[in-house]
Amino acid sequence: MLLQLNNIFKWVNSGGQRIFLLKDINLNVEEGEFISIMGPSGSGKSTLLNVIGMLDAFDEGEYNFLDESVHTLKEKHRANLYKEYIGFVFQSYHLLDELTVKENLEMPLLYKKFKGSERKAMVADMLDRFNIVGKKDLFPAQLSGGQQQLVGIARALISSPKLILADEPTGNLNSKQGEEIMELFKQLNNEGVTIIQVTHSEKNAEYGSRVINLLDGRMI
Amino acid sequence: MYKLFLKIAWRNLLKNKVFTLANVIGLTLAFAVAILLSMTALFELSYDQFHTNKDSIYQLALSNQTPKGTRTSTASPVPLAPSLKNEVPGIKQITRAVSEDALVTYQEKELVLDAHYVDPDFFAMFSYPIVLGNGNHPFSDKRSVAITERTSQLLFGDTNAIGKTIYLLLGKEDRPFTISSILKDLPTNSSVDFQIAIPFENHSDYAENLDVWDSNFHEVYVELDKGVSADQFEKNTWEFTNMHYSENIENLVRDGAQPDANNQYKQFHLLPYTDVHFVSYASGSIQVQRTFPYLILGISFLIIFIACANFINMNIALSEKRLKEIGMRKTLGAIKGQLFFQFWTESLLIFVTALFLGLVLGNLLIDPFKILFNTEATLANLTKPSILLGFFVAMFLIIFIAGGYPALLLSKMNTLRALKGKWEMGKNGIRNVLIVVQFVIAIILISGTLVLQGQLQFMRDKDLGYNKEQVISIPLNGKKDSYRVINLLREELQNNPNILEVTGADNNLGRGRDGSLSTSKWGFDHKQRGVTTNILTVDHDYLKTLDIELLSGRTFSPEFKADSLSLVINQAMVKELNETDPISVKIMMDDSIAYTVIGVIKDFNFQKITKEIEPLTLFMNRDWDLYYAYVKVAPGTLSKSFEFLKTAWEKIEPNAEFQGSFLDENIDRTYRREKMMTTIITSGSILGIVLSCIGLFAISLLVVAQRTKEIGVRKVIGASVSSITLLLTKDFLKLVGVAFVIATPIAWYALNQWLQGYAFHISLSVWFFIGAGLLATVIAFITVGGKTLKAASVNPVDSLRTE
Repeated sequence: MLLQLNNIFKWVNSGGQRIFLLKDINLNVEEGEFISIMGPSGSGKSTLLNVIGMLDAFDEGEYNFLDESVHTLKEKHRANLYKEYIGFVFQSYHLLDELTVKENLEMPLLYKKFKGSERKAMVADMLDRFNIVGKKDLFPAQLSGGQQQLVGIARALISSPKLILADEPTGNLNSKQGEEIMELFKQLNNEGVTIIQVTHSEKNAEYGSRVINLLDGRMI
Repeated sequence: MYKLFLKIAWRNLLKNKVFTLANVIGLTLAFAVAILLSMTALFELSYDQFHTNKDSIYQLALSNQTPKGTRTSTASPVPLAPSLKNEVPGIKQITRAVSEDALVTYQEKELVLDAHYVDPDFFAMFSYPIVLGNGNHPFSDKRSVAITERTSQLLFGDTNAIGKTIYLLLGKEDRPFTISSILKDLPTNSSVDFQIAIPFENHSDYAENLDVWDSNFHEVYVELDKGVSADQFEKNTWEFTNMHYSENIENLVRDGAQPDANNQYKQFHLLPYTDVHFVSYASGSIQVQRTFPYLILGISFLIIFIACANFINMNIALSEKRLKEIGMRKTLGAIKGQLFFQFWTESLLIFVTALFLGLVLGNLLIDPFKILFNTEATLANLTKPSILLGFFVAMFLIIFIAGGYPALLLSKMNTLRALKGKWEMGKNGIRNVLIVVQFVIAIILISGTLVLQGQLQFMRDKDLGYNKEQVISIPLNGKKDSYRVINLLREELQNNPNILEVTGADNNLGRGRDGSLSTSKWGFDHKQRGVTTNILTVDHDYLKTLDIELLSGRTFSPEFKADSLSLVINQAMVKELNETDPISVKIMMDDSIAYTVIGVIKDFNFQKITKEIEPLTLFMNRDWDLYYAYVKVAPGTLSKSFEFLKTAWEKIEPNAEFQGSFLDENIDRTYRREKMMTTIITSGSILGIVLSCIGLFAISLLVVAQRTKEIGVRKVIGASVSSITLLLTKDFLKLVGVAFVIATPIAWYALNQWLQGYAFHISLSVWFFIGAGLLATVIAFITVGGKTLKAASVNPVDSLRTE
């Protein structure tokens, strides 16, 4: 068992009323799964992903990640936990504009205090694996959307996480680029990486092994 | 349209309360302080400008080529002025002038007045208007005097003073004088200040020096004929000097002096009268220095600059939030001019408010300011049309540039980019330059503060070679004979165990409450060589009272009858005489009288600490008056003894004001200029730092806003709060570092120049600058750190949710 959500509630108070963003979410994720979260805009997909990624807090319920109960952890431990095990991929890539491809890839390693030689090897490895060696000295703005997302995924993967959280990874891409990215995810999943993605597209959802549908913060 | 702009501007300012407040406070402070400082500076610069003939009036100075270099002095001998007028063409009017205290008696009243002994031409040359009496000739004869309105009020109350007879103590006798004119009170920005003007012939030293060319004690002012240039006149005096000073020049040549560029050993110089207030002869030649007022003007300019830089930076920082508004307005059809005008209106609103508040604040602070900075300046001095015009032009430029620059940037934005909220500012060049300049200013001012405070403290703590803590000096300003007063004091005080010694001398140490500083010098030939020394007449126990160390020989003593022909000299004088064993050396001072050196004392700083210790010779001669009494009191009961002394004085001299003060106070008083400069620079640096920090704070807001996304991304991929804080702060600290590198050489150069003016000064250690740099860094870090720490702790989800 990689992670387990029990009776998760999240709400905001607005104008005296409690508006639920997540309502009684129960979810078990095994290692090696490829889950797609679907639902209309505002149904809570991204919120759920953020909760799983420990970026966002919840108001009620329990969350266990690799036998650690996240809801009782201090901020610092929680940060260490997701730093160690989780990689994020965003719809708008979120690469650092002023860094080159190579430097973008290196950034997470810096924060994890890898040695210079190790970092070099790992970055080279990743560039190689994603076939972007030729682009290593370019800046994000000089790449196409698909290539930027490729770098984004490479960055998420570089410190070998157990779980990849992807928030509409193909949302800003054309269909051909999107397909390539999804193929990549599929391949990663086959190599043993657990993936949870938020998506609007039925076609993309089919790449996954399981689909979770959300409506108004509720699993249906 | 304009009403609408004002309305929008007002709402926008309200919306950003923190920024509006920070801007208004910063600008208000800057304006208030700049107004006060400029007021002081312009007041200083306005000295003596009120004389109608100021462009043709000069002070006469004589430079001497001595073997030790050029020495310039404005003191002149009595026969000089009349001879000069008769023998050298080009003089329209000429006057001698000397300032001295005069003891005035009218019926029961006895007053010490600042007297100015002058020739009749004085009133025709200078613009001191006459209220009552005869026009341009206030002296109807040699027994008549002119007084100012305030003095008239002091002496006669509201009754008409003209024709009244007063008595003046001249030398040792009271002589009657008639008041023939009342002068308007002298403006505060006059370098000459007097309460009573007396015909020069009445000066106590006049008669005996009528034909003496080597007793110099007064100044000479010259007004040249139209069309005569100062240069031309100076050349015309060559023959005159060579003739009248021939003997003196021969001595200079004999002692090995080198002639000046014009092959002259003595040369008259005409110093424009408007320069008199700013002149210094410290280096031997005439140096006119207006550094001080310009320094103050400079500081006020820098403060305004810092505040304006803040305004620009903050406005740009704020614009980030308004990009959508700009884009929207543009799609709705606003043209560049309209947008510019709208934003500029907001700036205008802030500036006008700040300027108004600054004027109000400046006015409220004017009294404490005048006390703190010891200036007579008033805002009324500034209400001249030219100054007001300059003020408005400056304000307009400031508002136009500082307010207009951000407005221009915003109105130039590309519509589409603005709509998308993309801010492309060309790598923050302007912003960084402004911050660096701000910190350069701040670091220079801080290191200036540290060095000035250090020097001031050094001068206060320095061992001057005499006891300054326990000794009180009292100006002998009464009518009684000085030796009698001192003896009366001795008798009166002898039963008080806290009074240790009483003595007297003809000069003060430091500047007393009577405000006077003087030097007496004497030149004579010793072994065929010219020698100059400062001279001081003392009473018994002088060394004991002041704890001055006697190195060899003996001091004056009642046991030796002939001590009026004995001399005690200091170490510098020993060197000047070039004697290995100075004791018993005979010195022919006047051609006929032989003095004998009986003792050598250790050098002590009898003059300002800016000067090296000069040769000094002590005399004891009952025929020469003393002007100050010195009383040493026991430690521990200083203020009680002081009160006791005051009571004793009032018994002895009931009509004379007691002006006694401790020597350390006197010495402190000579540091007036240094203290004022330190206060100005210190307050300037504090204000500079505060304003720079307000600005830096605003910039940190901007940077955080610009880098929100980046912070989020970095956190998501694992950055810790501290590493992000460091990342954001680093950029600012880099700017401070650059500022430090630029500021240090400038500050070092300027401060080194300043310290060179002091014979005794602290050494300029690197730590002053490192200290200033560190202080600036720490303050910058604290300012920026808080905001960035907050930004770094924000949940990245919030910052990444912009999709």
